[in-house]
Amino acid sequence: MAAESPTASRKVVVHLRATGDAPILKQAKFKIAGSDKFGKVFLRRQLHRDTLFVYVNSAFSPNPDELVIDLYNNFGFDGKLVINYACSMAWG
Amino acid sequence: MEEEAVKYVWEGAVPLQIHLHESEVTTSPPPPPSFVLAPRVGYLPLLVPLIKPHFHGMLPPGVDTVWFDYNGLPLKWNIPTGVLFDLLCVEPERPWNLTVHFRGYPGEILIPCESEDSVKWSFINSLKEAVYIINGNSKTVMNMSQADHLELWRSIMKGNMESYLHVSSKLKLRTVGEDLKARGTSSSQPRQSGETDVGVPSRTGRVPVRLYIRNIGEVHDGLEDARAIVSWDEISYINRPVEFYKEEGKPFTLRSAIKTLLPEFFDGNPY
Repeated sequence: MAAESPTASRKVVVHLRATGDAPILKQAKFKIAGSDKFGKVFLRRQLHRDTLFVYVNSAFSPNPDELVIDLYNNFGFDGKLVINYACSMAWG
Repeated sequence: MEEEAVKYVWEGAVPLQIHLHESEVTTSPPPPPSFVLAPRVGYLPLLVPLIKPHFHGMLPPGVDTVWFDYNGLPLKWNIPTGVLFDLLCVEPERPWNLTVHFRGYPGEILIPCESEDSVKWSFINSLKEAVYIINGNSKTVMNMSQADHLELWRSIMKGNMESYLHVSSKLKLRTVGEDLKARGTSSSQPRQSGETDVGVPSRTGRVPVRLYIRNIGEVHDGLEDARAIVSWDEISYINRPVEFYKEEGKPFTLRSAIKTLLPEFFDGNPY
């Protein structure tokens, strides 16, 4: 078992970072349950956009079914998970 | 051995019998089902060019947005067809009976799939995620040339293993140390000339794993006992890397990997 137990019950700190011409959110830092699916990070509604491109660490778009805790354990650093969002495709 | 296993997976296919959903039937009698052999390493929307002509001219008016269901469960197109089959098909059903819909896309359950491009980007993003776990970044995928990008996607669309191995050898996907491999191909077995990845150093020894878990509870008479899945909520989805460790003289098996990922399923089991 990994040293850091990937228990889904813990909360994960998410940092949202705007990329390109995407509007900057008032609240860019929040806590979300690790057991939530990534698709639950309800950005689209907050930003009033139909299409939104969302990336982890400026690298890839996760599947909406992925658990937030898995993303945090695999790709988080400094105690947070960094999510970049853009209104057009930013990283191919 | 390793190459043989890869080939086995790539050549795998699922026989499908595809029915048009009754709400979209406009002819009497309804159109006969379409039979397709679907590659395991492939995605359902990539079959649409094969299926659509079969139902051509028999659909209600409107714009086509194709999706599939199995016993009423909309099928997630971003999951490879072989995984969907293993996860959902009620045993011993052959061919696998799916229903195709050309209308009424269930956007609240499935990710939008506008075209083949949606499937391509879903695949590329999964690949980038996996490469990130292996290499600590996704650069080898992000810096691919246009030509390699195209070759990679075409290899998936056409189920062309040679072409895939050629282009993916540039992505530094090797996670297993060379020494382990060398042991597998001992002196009595010369190295095969087809191995193009010789010399790629082992980096982290982390293998990206995506697990779909379906808990079927108590089963008395084998898998035939398990009932059909009615909601995706019954399936848990885990993305966790497996740390590859080597023990002298012992192969690292899939079972060892699953045991690391899901220790709760192995409680009290000495194996």
